[in-house]
Formats: sequence, C-alpha cells, structure tokens
Amino acid sequence: MVTITVDGKEYSVDENKNLVDALKEVGIHIPTFCYHPKLSVAGLCRLCLIEIEGVPKLQIGCGTAVKDGMKIIVTSEKIIKAREAIMEFQLINHPLDCPVCDKAGECKLQDYSFSSGTSTTRYKENKRTTPEEEIGDNLLINHNRCIMCLRCVRFQKEILNDPRLERIHRGNQSMIGCISNGKDEGKKLIDHNYQGALSDLCPVGALLNKDMLYKSRVWWYDRTQSICHGCSSLCKITVDVKNNEVYRYMPPEDPYNNGYFICDQGRFSAEDFTKERLFSYAYKGINKKSPDVFSEIKNTWQNAQSIVFVGGTTESNESLEKIKEIIQSMIKTGKNVKWEYKTMQYMWESNWAEEVDFLMTSDKRPNSKKAREVIEGPFSNEKDFIAALKNADIIFSLNEFSAPYSYRINDENELSENILYKIFENENLWGKIINLTTHDNNASKKALASFPVKAMTEIENSFTDKKGEIKKTKISVRPPEGLRNTAEVLEYFINSVERQTAIA
Amino acid sequence: MGVVKVKQKYKWKWYEKFYFISISAGMLTTMKYFLKCAILRKQVTVQYPEEIRPLSSRFRGRHTLKRDNKGRERCTSCFCCMWVCPAQCIHIEAAKVPENEKENYPEDKYAKVFNIDTLRCIFCGLCEEACPKGAIYLDGGIPMPEDDRDDFLITKDILLEKEGGPIIGTRM
Repeated sequence: MVTITVDGKEYSVDENKNLVDALKEVGIHIPTFCYHPKLSVAGLCRLCLIEIEGVPKLQIGCGTAVKDGMKIIVTSEKIIKAREAIMEFQLINHPLDCPVCDKAGECKLQDYSFSSGTSTTRYKENKRTTPEEEIGDNLLINHNRCIMCLRCVRFQKEILNDPRLERIHRGNQSMIGCISNGKDEGKKLIDHNYQGALSDLCPVGALLNKDMLYKSRVWWYDRTQSICHGCSSLCKITVDVKNNEVYRYMPPEDPYNNGYFICDQGRFSAEDFTKERLFSYAYKGINKKSPDVFSEIKNTWQNAQSIVFVGGTTESNESLEKIKEIIQSMIKTGKNVKWEYKTMQYMWESNWAEEVDFLMTSDKRPNSKKAREVIEGPFSNEKDFIAALKNADIIFSLNEFSAPYSYRINDENELSENILYKIFENENLWGKIINLTTHDNNASKKALASFPVKAMTEIENSFTDKKGEIKKTKISVRPPEGLRNTAEVLEYFINSVERQTAIA
Repeated sequence: MGVVKVKQKYKWKWYEKFYFISISAGMLTTMKYFLKCAILRKQVTVQYPEEIRPLSSRFRGRHTLKRDNKGRERCTSCFCCMWVCPAQCIHIEAAKVPENEKENYPEDKYAKVFNIDTLRCIFCGLCEEACPKGAIYLDGGIPMPEDDRDDFLITKDILLEKEGGPIIGTRM
C-alpha cells in the first residue's frame, strides 16, 4: 500500500493497480468507456482524464500506474471542460434513439452524458448512418451507436483467443467488422458461447442479442443476487425479475468468482423456469388434487418391495441430506431402496467436471459434487442400472425431466435426446414412475404420477460447486402457495399415505 | 349518572309545519327557469348524444395514437407510457419492424400490440406527458358506453383511426 494525494486528501491505495481501479476501492469514481478490469488498457475513449502534479498535460487514469507520493487532481475546471469536450466528441455520430435502444437505463454513454456532458453539440454535419448487421447467430451490431471503445475486439483477442472482430476502415468511417480468424476460412459469423457477454461488455447499445431484443426495459427489473444453475461452476449472477417472471441473468460487478462474465448457456436459460411449469399433482397425465393422486397410487406404494430413486444432482445440499434421511427410514421398514445419481451418459465415466472454456464445465448439473458425496451410487455400469430399473416396483425420478437440466424449452425434440427418457421409453417403464418435476412435458404426462416441485429460483438453499465451495441461492421468484421442494414433497407423500391407511 | 343534554330537538312553529315558505321558494326557482327557457329561449341543456357540446382544448378523453407528416406511426414502443401509468392500463408488446414494412415506421422498433383498458384508465394524462415522441394524446372525445366488457379494451387499430393529429408538444 502506498499513499497518494487526490484533490488535497491523502489516501492509501494498492500500488499494483492502475489509477482507476485503485481509486475505485477508496470510493472515487473516474468515468471510463474503454477500460475494463479484465481487459488490457487501450486508452481510446480519453474520458478518464486526470491532472498529475508536475505533468503539463492531462493524463489518462486507466493507463497511469500508482506511484508513492503522487499528487493528482480529479475534479478541476480543466478536467470538467475536457470531459465535456470528450462527451461531445463521442456523441457526434451517436443517434438519439434511447427510446428504442435496449441498453437505455444501464448505458454508460447515457449516464456520463448526463453527469459529464453538455446538452448541446456544435457538430453541424449529417450523422454517419450504417444499417444494422448480423455478426453472430445471436448477435446484432448497430454501427451507428458504436463509440469505438474496442472492448469487444479485446475480449475476443485476449479472453477467447479468437480474433474474429476487428476495427475496419478508419477515421470517421471506422467500424467493427467480422473478419476471418485465420483458422477456418470463410466462416465469419460469431458462434461461440459468449455472445451474451459481448453485448453485456458493450458500454453502449451497439451489440445486442437477438434473443433478448425489445423484450423489456432494464428499469423494470427487480434484482436478486443468486447463483446460476447451468453447470457445476455455479457462477454468481443477478436474477432480473419482472412481474414475478425471470427475464434474464446478468453477471455481477465483481472481479472475483466468475469475474464480470457468464456464458450464454446459463444466461439464456433464464426463462426456462417460468415457462410450461407444472403447478398441479397429476395421475397418468390428468391433473388432480394431491390426496386423490396419493390414494390412487397408495396400493402400488404399499406393495412395492424394491424402490429405485433416480437423480439428485440437481438438488440442493439441504434437500439431498433430507432425502437421504427419508430413504434410510424407508430401509428400516424392510424395503429394498437404491439411489442412483448417474443419469447422463458422461456420468458413467470417471472424470466428468471437465472445463469446456474459462467458465463452463461439461457437467451440466448444479450440485453433482455434493450428490457424489452423499449418494453411494450402487451401480457400477449402465447395464446393472437398467436391470435394477426393470426389477423395481416404483421408480422415483428426482427432477430428471425438468427444463434447463435435461432439455431447453424452445427445443423442438424436447426430451427425445435424454438418455433416461430413452431407457424408460424402450423398456416401457412409465407405469411405475413417480416423476418429481418442475415442468409439464411428455414425461410428466406419461408417468404414473407427477408431483410439482420448486425450481431453483424459488428456493433459498446452498449448493456445492466443482471446487467444493458452498454457494447460496436466494428466492427471486415467489412460487405459488403450497408448492414444495423435492424433499418436502417426498415427506408429504409418505406422511399422507400413512395417514390415509391409518384412517382406513 | 347524570346525562348532559347537548342539543335539544328543534321545535317547529305551527305555521312551519305546513311547508308553505319552502315549497313556494322552490316553485319560484322552477318557474324562473321555465319562463327563461320557454319564452326567452335561454336553455342550457343539449340533446346528448345527438348534439355534442364543443370540448375544451384541455379535455382528456379517449386515447389516440398519432402519425407523423409522412404517415408513419410515431410510437416507437419505448414503454414510457406503460411505465408511468398509475392505473397500469396500457399493455405494449414491442417487436422488430419487418423488412417489407420499413416505410411505415421511423425506427427499427414498433408496437406490435398496443392495448388500453379504458375501464382501468383514470384519464390522468401522464402517458401524454411521458411520451418522448408525441405519439399518444387523450383527444379522442368522450368514451362511449359499450355492451360488452371486452369492448372497453381498445386496440391499436382503433387508436390509430384518427388520421393526422397535432404536432409534437401541442394539442388539438
């Protein structure tokens, strides 16, 4: 730590950081467009200008290293005038289409135009106009709005090692273009897993995702800090909710954990938890009240000797412990109960939390680490597992046919790719399956009984990520009254069946 | 326990019990207006709804959506009116303008659905104030009664019926 003087006041700051980051820690905010803590310093926007004592000209804050005894000025007449000029310069080609732009409300240009800019411009020429263009399978670029901060270009180069975006032409005509990355010729459109991150990185509304285009405005969202369910990395996210519906996941402004970024797999699965939900108990696909469903399957349950529980990698730590207790008490009553968590093809292989890229892992279940600790997994290969399923009298499927885990809502062939679904279909096992699920789909219609459970956005529980770190979810969506989580549903089912037999 | 008498009931006098004075005062007013209308022809009522009085320029009635001087819809679906509406009666669904209809809209974004529930609307005029494009005005006259509840939901084609309209910032 070193001591520097800012506007006559002394602060002790971290000497390994540049001025923008170091001052942010002590509560002094310097406006920037092109600077991003995870990317290299470019010094393009010139908005972070500061005065350093002994240096005649204004210097950029992002490119200045902290030195001991440095004396700087961040709010002076000279700097305010310089920033006004920079803002006027940034806005010469920027259209006044904030009512149309999806970034409005979280746009840096909008914020700094209000705080540091002037309301008038001296520019009299016509604004440069270029039509909107597709540069990715889920990415649009609006060249008019671009302020040439080159954050997207640097992100592609430095973080993804895929230099496919570049600044083309020069001067007033310069714009962001898609070029060949040198590896595969001809293929120019962006198709990677970080198109959402690119549009999020853009300080203005130049890069936009086609999936989210014009759906809502940012000031409507209620935000909750939670974790992503997409894979075993469990990235920290903020859940944006409007009218009790999840609209999007955003990365937190936090250099640790997943560090400002989340992948598209997680980001665009946000709405899966609000569409096509199952909110009623069902018997053979027909919605009924829970006591009616329980009395229908009461006899099957009491005569059942061998029971198999399938799944568990999607459940929270608390839920897993509770299910284990329930199973142990079932074993005490003389039943043959087995619990297997390996339901996907990759789970039968030994090493399955492999990193796909710098955030995502190949393991698509949120709590597989804890599930592997809690559940013994009695079957060593798939054949034994299928044989046990065939011999079982009742099979409980724990959240195995729910949307973000086994299929995507907008997917056409839905569950047909799911391995467990194929097994149930081929062996004709649907008559003995009790399906605990969040979604109303083919599986919940075919199963003997379906019980609705809470989704991950509706519970406040803890999950264990691939490194063993425990992370907590928060309630971001209010579930309908009476909806239970998986362990509670099982407890409720067993208790009410017992009560029904006691009365009879 | 002692009871405090706060007010005694008014005792009518004998001549007051016949209501002479009150009735004749009322009849005098009636006769005054009858003579004014029948002989001097100075009546103040009109035969509504056949005859409609001219409305004030500040009158807030049914909503209309406006077009600009090129005939394009002014509304760009920015959701400002929907956001400001205290009665939450406006429902908008935005979409990207289709390629073959670009000449009908000034921007890339347009309102695919624009519904106003006039049963919920309190005619406060905040949507008019919030609109950055001068697209919505409450100058459609007095909303008429309907037979069906669904008819009070006015859709975009009804809102756009009135062609032309005022320039931004003024009212007709």
